[in-house]
Amino acid sequence: MSQIETLGILEEIQALVSDKLQVVSYKWLSRNFLVSSNVAKRLLAEFVEKHGSGLEVVYSLSGWLKNSPSNYHIQLVTGPKLSEAKQVYDGNCRVHVYSVQACIPKDLAALWNTEFIQAEELFKQPTSVDNCLRDNRFCGISNSFVKRNVDGTPAKVATAQPNSVGISGLSIHNSAQFSAPLPSQQNKVQQSSSKVAQKPPIVVKGIKSDSISGGVHDLATKPSADKEKNTSFPSNKKKGQNDKGSTGNGGSLANFWDRASAKPKTCSAPADNIDSIQNSNDAQISACEAVEHENSDIDAQEVNFGRASNSEGNRKRRVVLDLSDEDEYEDAVNLASPDPPKRKSFLGSIQNSKTSVPERPDVDKPDKDEVTVKEERTANREPNRSLGEETSLGSKSTNGKNSSSVKLESQLPETDLKKDKVTDASPNSPKRRKVLKTRIDDRGREVTEVVWEGEETEVKKVESDVPKKAGSGATNATTNTVANTNSRYAVGTTAPSNPGVKTGNKKAGNAKDPKQGNILSFFKKV
Amino acid sequence: MEVDSQEQLQRKQSTYLSLDENFEIQKEVYRGQQYSQIYFARLHMMRTLLYSLVPNWKSHLPVCTVLELEEGKECIIVGTLYKHMKLKPCILDEYSKERSVAPLIKPHNFMHQDDYLVLEDESGRVKLGGTKLSPSVYVTGVVVALHGKETSAGAFFVEDVLEAGLPPQIERPLKSREDKYVVFVSGLSIGSSSSNPLQFQLLVDHITGHLGDEEEQGFAAEIVHLVIVGNSVEISHGLLNGQNLASKDQSRLSEPFKELDILLTQIAASLPLDIMPGSSDPANFALPQQPLNRCLFPGSATYNTFRSCTNPHCFELDSIRFLGTSGQNIDDLTKYSEAKDKLDFLERTLRWRHLAPTAPNTLGCYPFTDRDPFLIDSCPDVYFVGNQEKYETRLLKGC
Repeated sequence: MSQIETLGILEEIQALVSDKLQVVSYKWLSRNFLVSSNVAKRLLAEFVEKHGSGLEVVYSLSGWLKNSPSNYHIQLVTGPKLSEAKQVYDGNCRVHVYSVQACIPKDLAALWNTEFIQAEELFKQPTSVDNCLRDNRFCGISNSFVKRNVDGTPAKVATAQPNSVGISGLSIHNSAQFSAPLPSQQNKVQQSSSKVAQKPPIVVKGIKSDSISGGVHDLATKPSADKEKNTSFPSNKKKGQNDKGSTGNGGSLANFWDRASAKPKTCSAPADNIDSIQNSNDAQISACEAVEHENSDIDAQEVNFGRASNSEGNRKRRVVLDLSDEDEYEDAVNLASPDPPKRKSFLGSIQNSKTSVPERPDVDKPDKDEVTVKEERTANREPNRSLGEETSLGSKSTNGKNSSSVKLESQLPETDLKKDKVTDASPNSPKRRKVLKTRIDDRGREVTEVVWEGEETEVKKVESDVPKKAGSGATNATTNTVANTNSRYAVGTTAPSNPGVKTGNKKAGNAKDPKQGNILSFFKKV
Repeated sequence: MEVDSQEQLQRKQSTYLSLDENFEIQKEVYRGQQYSQIYFARLHMMRTLLYSLVPNWKSHLPVCTVLELEEGKECIIVGTLYKHMKLKPCILDEYSKERSVAPLIKPHNFMHQDDYLVLEDESGRVKLGGTKLSPSVYVTGVVVALHGKETSAGAFFVEDVLEAGLPPQIERPLKSREDKYVVFVSGLSIGSSSSNPLQFQLLVDHITGHLGDEEEQGFAAEIVHLVIVGNSVEISHGLLNGQNLASKDQSRLSEPFKELDILLTQIAASLPLDIMPGSSDPANFALPQQPLNRCLFPGSATYNTFRSCTNPHCFELDSIRFLGTSGQNIDDLTKYSEAKDKLDFLERTLRWRHLAPTAPNTLGCYPFTDRDPFLIDSCPDVYFVGNQEKYETRLLKGC
């Protein structure tokens, strides 16, 4: 440091200490004047030499004590007591100036205050700023393996790293290796951020992946995945399935709730994510998402769809997913429209539902997870709550929209189980087809229903159970030609009407409050 | 900005491996089960182990269950110890007497000279007599093998005891010849009136390499890891009485965390850091305590060096295994048994191969159904406990 600068700083210190009566510690000095701590100490020492009279100086002593076993002791002493404090130390103890102030405060913690206020200021700066507090640049020891995730999401902490690269298991690559993937990631980030406005970024990662590759990519793409993302990102911890063709549309969000495929795939999803990140240009959004969190964190994964939902109108719910808690999962209601392939699968399963109508266990009681397939819903309907929720795929509307997936997702702890059963059931569905019928029911609402027209009939009893949480209604037992399958109204369904199956189709002009059950659902319809 | 005339020192690095999966409870499902299952799992594991050790100990004696005991017949029985304590606080006391204000000091030791031990397995229990087994040393929940015979009074007279002993330690040749240091800190109690932030700041400065001259910074560069062993914050209980807080009080709730976060940011920016929850931290009460939520540390959680860990915490650094707790297990042992110093308790837990034998009896514990996560399978190289009154250390050599 040039003489002039030194002098300038010394004068400033003089002003601060004498006039403003501030405690000037070496760390405060280093952060304020952007010099390293060692330099700051030298400056303070010079200051004390030149202008130290009349001011109180606090020295820091460190060394091994004379006691045995010897402790390493770090001590702060004021000027007058320095020499006697040195006696306690075995051999040479290191001394340097800790701080200079006009007078020693009564409460020694006040020595710390100014420095802390400065630290707090630095701390409060936006997270994207890499200031001297955050990267510890003025200390005497450098650690190149510390990486900070600047976009505010917690950096992945890679735990069990069986073949870690001999580093502290955390940051795996140094910057040299980043440079290659970086540009490409950068591009992806650019593109994705522009897409973000239109479509919600789709959650891609499985959560608990401790794969090293995950960690690698996480770190590799971290620097790029930042500032553009700050504004429009849903929060970090997400669980989802990487739709392979994930284009960030509603379809993949629906896949999100498709637990049938999501669950077994979540483990593979991260691995897939990694590949797809690298390869597909499509999955930029997912790429960026995948960057943030391969979080081996175990806390409840909060999916903040707030931002996403703002950009896409139909998402109204905030979904909180707790991996371990199936109950909550079931509460997730998919209001999105599932994409066509899914619909078809629903349809397919609907077709089969005639002969194989699985009984869904009651959502409220996830422990009763037997899913039995019944050929016909005949009279033995025990007043058992778990049976009360009988829903069938047949009750889904062909429009496919939310309702079908709603019912399925919200009720089935094991969607795949159901699906398996459905598909396992004999495909000999009798000849019937689904027909959309619109009519006005007794309460004056327009109801669009899916009605089976065919030969076989099913006899159902009226379910007079207490409405379930989403206001399920009862079903009818009819003996007419149209099959009647039980419908559970997850959201906004109408009164059961005669032949038929309810749709939960809100959009069909159902004026009812989705949460309310229909009181008439308790009564049989003729 | 001046370029230092010397090069900056490089901090040493070491590989880190976390072994905390055993202590995580996210996968557990609570179905209203009680604690019998965790005791059964413990008995089962330990009994298998003890059965394998018995032939080396006394091979000539038969092993039988409690129900198969015959009077006068010398045999070996294996089971869980239960210590009947006269002074042990019982929940029913709250209903029989008037409620007194909970004492702020730590409750004293509940031992009494009339305490006696009972051995229990699935078939039954038998009261233990004899002088070999001292009730002041043992606590409820320890699984041992006993050699003795049944007396006419129906008690079991103990002649010899076999504990599981030190678990096997994996042989690990030391790879590097250089010294590396791990720092353990506990009881920071930020937010309490007795904590001195200057002291913690000095520590942070020393570890991060600000303080001292180059030689001292050289020492600090050898520190590779920092573990904060619980009780990092202390929130005054007046704020936690369940009433709605005024907004100024709400800031009092969060200030300790902000302060801690700033300090942890300074640390995390230079070396790997583990933070464990303690009894006064905002984590669950029952062991194993789950990691402190990362949202409490918005600044420091962004670093890849920051790690929030369970209590108990087990990890490996450069293949050296570390295991330890924030002190609740040892504190509980202190209440229900006695020893010369805390290190004796630690040693006992190692010999019993169980981190917290008093859980779930007097120590809060999650009702695991299929395992007991506190069993120690492999002996750690460093076994630590935090939040004790003073610092002590001992080197234990097993055979």
